Amino acid sequence: MSNVLRPYLAAVRSTLTAALTLENFSSQVVERHNKPEVEAGGSKEVLLNPLIISRNENERVLIEPSINSIRLSIKIKQADEIERILCHKFTRFMMQRAESFIVLRRKPVPGYDISFLITNTHSETMLKHKIVDFIIQFMEEVDREISEMKLSLNARARIVAESYLTAIST
Amino acid sequence: MDVAFRKIDIDVYDEDALQDSELYEADSRDPAQVLGDARARQASVRSLLAKNDIAGALTAILENAPYGPNVEDAKTMSLQSLLTVLNSTKSTEIPAVIKSLSMDSQDTLMKYLYKGMAMSGWADSNASVLLSWHEKLTEIAGTGCIVRTMTDRRTV
Amino acid sequence: MILLEPHNVIIQTTLGEKIIKPSSLDVAFVDYDGVRFHLSTPERKTLLLLSMHIRCWDELVRYGAMEVLQREYGVLLQPQAEPEYNVSLAIDLEQAPTSLEDRDAFILSIALFKRNALAAPFESAFKNQKQLEAAGTGQGELMQIHYRDEEAIYIQASPDRVTVIFSTVFSDETDRIYGKVFLQEFVDARRQPAIQNAPQVLYSNREPPLEIRHLSNLRNTEDTGYVTFVLFPQHFTPVNAAATISHVQLFRDYLHYHIKCSKAYMHSRMRFRVAEFQKVLNRAKQEVTVTERKTVTGRTMSTR
Repeated sequence: MSNVLRPYLAAVRSTLTAALTLENFSSQVVERHNKPEVEAGGSKEVLLNPLIISRNENERVLIEPSINSIRLSIKIKQADEIERILCHKFTRFMMQRAESFIVLRRKPVPGYDISFLITNTHSETMLKHKIVDFIIQFMEEVDREISEMKLSLNARARIVAESYLTAIST
Repeated sequence: MDVAFRKIDIDVYDEDALQDSELYEADSRDPAQVLGDARARQASVRSLLAKNDIAGALTAILENAPYGPNVEDAKTMSLQSLLTVLNSTKSTEIPAVIKSLSMDSQDTLMKYLYKGMAMSGWADSNASVLLSWHEKLTEIAGTGCIVRTMTDRRTV
Repeated sequence: MILLEPHNVIIQTTLGEKIIKPSSLDVAFVDYDGVRFHLSTPERKTLLLLSMHIRCWDELVRYGAMEVLQREYGVLLQPQAEPEYNVSLAIDLEQAPTSLEDRDAFILSIALFKRNALAAPFESAFKNQKQLEAAGTGQGELMQIHYRDEEAIYIQASPDRVTVIFSTVFSDETDRIYGKVFLQEFVDARRQPAIQNAPQVLYSNREPPLEIRHLSNLRNTEDTGYVTFVLFPQHFTPVNAAATISHVQLFRDYLHYHIKCSKAYMHSRMRFRVAEFQKVLNRAKQEVTVTERKTVTGRTMSTR
């Protein structure tokens, strides 16, 4: 692991742990409603300061805390066209399965590639530190997965080109 | 029938609606005065740095840091001088420096660290420094420090 | 399977079966590039009629497809094609060769029906090159074969080489980017010593190559790519010509086939990785212990 990645993930971990102090909170705007305040944005006093943790210009995490929910958005490294398309494919694949990834949001926040929405229900029914572990492990592995996919694409392309040209070379 | 009235944001006219200014006590200083303070501090930080007094330089910036609206220039200037201090600190000295700060200063430092990472275009050169400070500060001041950064409305 | 086969497997297997045990049949099927086939027994069980429809048939006839098919199939070729199709072969199973080897060769030659029809322009270009080489100057006619709706092959002979240009359209963004990676490898692969004698491959995105730039019916959008093969006489000596034609004419299908394969592979990888993430997240779930609750009298409580 590169020496910049470790403090980056450590910072995300501590910030996320700090932000995961959620409690049940009914809407102040609509009677008998209870919705994630960070999404509804109805009352200012329950939204906290959003925090950004960045490793460089292209890799950053936005954490938007509120009283009963937090939204965490990740911008994944995309060095070139291929990584961009692979990242897009991967995140889309995951977001289409959002219902099984309880904390995953179906659409990313603008400017980011993937977003998670953790509400007080999640932090009550699930183990908080394990949710944090999941996010950190996702961040660790998604980069590696994308670069491996890129390598495998290149390797396949090479084999394909070589076998075709070998067949018609004289 | 005209339905445009449905789109009117009636909450604006609500007398009970919460205003930004009610969330925290405003800085009593005048924006121009704050900018002057920041400039004066920048100079004193430079001289403290020349004397190699890192803790003193940090305290100087973190005391009475500008906050609230209308003082963007002073905020940016403070961040810049803070970054010079952070960049000129050896990584082995960081824990000792942090321990010498008061709790309020530690909280303000945390605010600045997040602000530094959020500035677009700045992150590339400073990210690793900011991240290592963040790590050390969290070790010493705990997650409570981060929680106070999230909840304190007096953003730097 | 990395390389695609030039013959049609359906024709091959069906003929193989019917030679052994003739029966009446009527099947319609397709091959690459929207080529349609119809195999039927209109008169009797032993007389098969194989008809083919290619959308660029008129162009192929102009470049000598009839002559090539006449040469390959002789009397099998019907003077009048079946309605709705371009060309027909009548195969009398009673006249098929009896020895096993000859029979397989005969079946294979029928299965190469499409390949032989598409070979005509290539053969004519190779002949043309010989004439130009003798004359020492000039350019052959630029032959255009619009074998798909938006994609075409252009073939041109020069005194020292034959240039084959494929235009190809990538239907979506992913295909375009994958295609770029593949084509870049085609260009780079020639640096390897083992395949230095392979034809030179050039690739350009959007910008058509010089040879066809004057054509007016090109669509120069971002999703179009042009691949140029430069074939030198060594590639179409009488020994090599047949193999070269078979491979080159399938280039577009080969490329797109492997793009699709890559996409499928990526998909299976993602499926696996996402399942792994799911397991990690499941660790966060608390186990709900369900204990049987009983009343004082010993009856079990149940939710209704």
